[in-house]
Amino acid sequence: MNDSATHNLEAGDVHQKFRTIAGKEILFDKQGFLWHPEDWTEEVAVALALECGIETLSDDQWRVIRFLRDYFSYHGRAPLNRDLKTGLGISLMELECLFPGGIRHGARRVAGLPNPRACTG
Amino acid sequence: MKKVVMKINGKSHQFIVEPDRVLLDLLREDMLLTGAKQSCDRKGQCGACTVIVNGKAVRSCLQKVANLDGAEVITVEGLGTPDNPHLIQEAYVLSGAVQCGFCTPGMIMSTKALLDRNPNPDVEEIKKALEHNLCRCTGYAKIIDAVTLAGRFIRGETTPDKVRPDPNGPKIGVSHPRPSAMIKACGVAAFSADIKLQDALELAVVRSTEHHAKIKSINTSEAEKMPGVMGIMTADDIKGTNRIVIIFPDQPILCKDKVQCLGDPIAIVAAQTKNQAVAAAEAVKITYEPLPVLKNPREAMAEGAIQIHQEWPNLCFAQPQIKGDAEKAIAASAVVVEANFTTQINHQAPLEPEATVAYIEGEGEDAQLVVVGRSIQIHGMMANLQEALGYENVRYEEAYSGGQFGIKAAMTSEGISGAAALHFKRSVRYIPSLAESMLLTNKRHAFDMKVKLAADKDGKLTAFTIEYIVDNGAYQIIGIYVIMRAMWMLSGSYNIPNINAMGKLVYTNNPAGGAARGAGPPQVTFALESAMDMLAEKIGMDPFKFRKINSLLPGQSVSTGMVYEQWPFPELCDAFQPSYDRAKKEAADLKSGPIRRGVGIATHAFGIGGPGDAGRVAVELDPDDGITIFAAVADPGEGNDSMLTQIASHVGGIPMNKIRLVTRDTDHTAEMGPAAASRMTYMAGGSLILALEQLKKAMEEVGSKTYEGLRKAGKATHYVGSKQAAGQEGPLDPVTGQGPSFESRVHNIQMAEVEVNTDTGEVRVIKMTTAVDAGTVINPHNLEGQLHGGIDQGVGYALREEYIHGKTNDWNTFKFPTMKTSFPMDVIIKETPRVKGPLGATGIGEMTMVSTAPAVINAIYDACGVRIYNLPATPEKIKAALTAKK
Repeated sequence: MNDSATHNLEAGDVHQKFRTIAGKEILFDKQGFLWHPEDWTEEVAVALALECGIETLSDDQWRVIRFLRDYFSYHGRAPLNRDLKTGLGISLMELECLFPGGIRHGARRVAGLPNPRACTG
Repeated sequence: MKKVVMKINGKSHQFIVEPDRVLLDLLREDMLLTGAKQSCDRKGQCGACTVIVNGKAVRSCLQKVANLDGAEVITVEGLGTPDNPHLIQEAYVLSGAVQCGFCTPGMIMSTKALLDRNPNPDVEEIKKALEHNLCRCTGYAKIIDAVTLAGRFIRGETTPDKVRPDPNGPKIGVSHPRPSAMIKACGVAAFSADIKLQDALELAVVRSTEHHAKIKSINTSEAEKMPGVMGIMTADDIKGTNRIVIIFPDQPILCKDKVQCLGDPIAIVAAQTKNQAVAAAEAVKITYEPLPVLKNPREAMAEGAIQIHQEWPNLCFAQPQIKGDAEKAIAASAVVVEANFTTQINHQAPLEPEATVAYIEGEGEDAQLVVVGRSIQIHGMMANLQEALGYENVRYEEAYSGGQFGIKAAMTSEGISGAAALHFKRSVRYIPSLAESMLLTNKRHAFDMKVKLAADKDGKLTAFTIEYIVDNGAYQIIGIYVIMRAMWMLSGSYNIPNINAMGKLVYTNNPAGGAARGAGPPQVTFALESAMDMLAEKIGMDPFKFRKINSLLPGQSVSTGMVYEQWPFPELCDAFQPSYDRAKKEAADLKSGPIRRGVGIATHAFGIGGPGDAGRVAVELDPDDGITIFAAVADPGEGNDSMLTQIASHVGGIPMNKIRLVTRDTDHTAEMGPAAASRMTYMAGGSLILALEQLKKAMEEVGSKTYEGLRKAGKATHYVGSKQAAGQEGPLDPVTGQGPSFESRVHNIQMAEVEVNTDTGEVRVIKMTTAVDAGTVINPHNLEGQLHGGIDQGVGYALREEYIHGKTNDWNTFKFPTMKTSFPMDVIIKETPRVKGPLGATGIGEMTMVSTAPAVINAIYDACGVRIYNLPATPEKIKAALTAKK
């Protein structure tokens, strides 16, 4: 057996892991997206924001989070950046700067949207 | 050049052509008649391009236009239109003979030529007339039905109106024509290569000629100067991560420093014509430093083996499963069998090559990259493209798709076309050949399995142990899921109290393993069901009775420890018993002489609604009180359009012609996950019902069923439903493999009746019979079509098909199933409503082939006393085993 085979060997479901966030045990994928968007609460958002370095979510950040959740709830999919820009009246540059990790890895994660690459079944 | 005048669909046309111009290309490129399809690289192997020339069905890819002066040509577009179809087109639609629809125009033209000369053909005459037309979806059964029905229409014995189900009658359990069937039958459904794209560049890809090597240099200087070349791009020109990610980010769109597999993409050439692009791609010079090639998992796990990916060991995943104490139970068991089994790498073999097109829509900050292709998971592919290409504003559109059978859970050619459209800032078409499509796509994983199965003196199963080592190939597409899926469904139909299993996934330099109908269970079920027959023989019990007495019962647990409250397998056995008794009786008289008859059984309980699975479907009540469904429910041939339409009409109480589907692009659909794992009826159908129930509740609250009524009352007209499957509590335990499995199961018994020629080792399938309990049946034709097609694929897997990378390069070398290899099929259906299934339904698509290979192998043993442990069971292997037995 090659040396490297003795470490880094994965087992179980490589996509899922439980974490305790805001006092709740919640299932995440390995990229840090909520497995079930329904598990999201404002307390979860605050805790996830803190993890990525945001001590207090600003009004603009909450606007983005609420837009993302409303859009997802209505359409069943995440918005593209152009939808965010149109819906919020904020430039893409400003939007990207609002969250560490930008819209895709920052805002989406804090807003509890699922990873669009999720492979189920 | 030569001047040619001919009539096409009744109109005269003049062409001046090169001597090698073939009719197929003229029809598609000059006449824009894209009903005739290209699949087999113009070798005349597939018949998808069949048209009628001077009254005869011909493969248009073999017809030189220069030889057709004065000819009369009829294409599928010349027969009828969706508004005014030909009787043959009606017959195909009404018989359920149209699945993916890629072969359908060619089939219909061969049918036309046949019925013009013989309006009352028997089955053998039909098979002879359509012997050059290939189909991967139907097992040919419903195509034969369609030709027969078309003959009846033409002879005036009945009419389409008499055969067509009443659209105002019941919606569930009725074979209403698929919404998409007629446009496919008329050749006007646009598959990727049919899309007209103004001024598009044609792409060709420079692919690795090495199986494993470092790239030392890429020299494009000569190629760039060649005629028509607009540019050449390499990995350095891709702005994003250049990585395709489903589980691990291990697969580049273009390789930069190293290739892991023969055919890996290295550079993209864009040119004015396809021939120019291909010629320039051949002129790109790559120098390699060859590395050791790991041809199988044993080599890859050997001491000192080179590591293929820096970030992951060759043995990249291992999952145990421990239930009870298998070793102790085996030691105490009255009978034990032990054997090793292997299954081959195989191609899913969709008829359509891996074509995609891409273009930029809009300008400036609003410019959107649009990729059109064959994906069954358009949102996932969009996300992959966004990150891999470093471009956020992406739309993925699903074209009509010529079959897929799992292959399109992965991203194949869309990364190439998307990258090129962005880099060259032009519309592009990437239409690879069949040979190239085989090189670039993922394949069914090969398994190497070591098995022990034990029972007590009464024939009750006591223990099962299995180690399965899986060849992951060069890239991690869904390899880990294949290991897990095999684990989730490991114990099949049975109650096995003690289990010890280990699944290992190993990188090699073989083609990447990917999703393939069943994906895991077909392989381990081949081992389990072969061992079941071996054990039954050792005990001295009839193999069918042995299976029935070992059925899991409600309240018992499967190998993961999950307890099921519904398990209607014993009742399915009862329904199947008469067919089994009949087959055994008929075979009993054919046990001597060179041709010997055998009967083989295998079963499975296939999982539907995976642990933690979730779906989302949006519905909108329209101003005319119809309903539009917005959900990315891909339909590469299964009939998901029927499923959505019939469920929505039934639940919503709205006529089917007022149900509209928006399913094909990421800008307008809810994310529904992949059209894989047989999950769409269960997950999308379930989500649809949840959305409709919200709409109906709103209607009840306002006392109105109309759009105007809801609007006036201030109620929403748009709702999203989300079906969540069981197993939300998390993954299997990494140490014990215990935990959730699928929410529901579809139960299946298959029986093969074969004749073995003991002189040659050849096997003829006399008949396949399948019994299935899939819960409520929504559309019987669609259910039967899945069963027929899956069984045909399963027989190919058992007897003929094997993909050898670099050698299997067309349909002949693949040994594609044909009318000649087709066989009669019987279907027995039971409908135990599933407690959590949409209207009581569950899924069907993959289960159809899981039991087939072991049923065939068990039948071969029953016929001639030799057991084949290594698929496929070729005549050479059977003959060698017979010789060894003597």
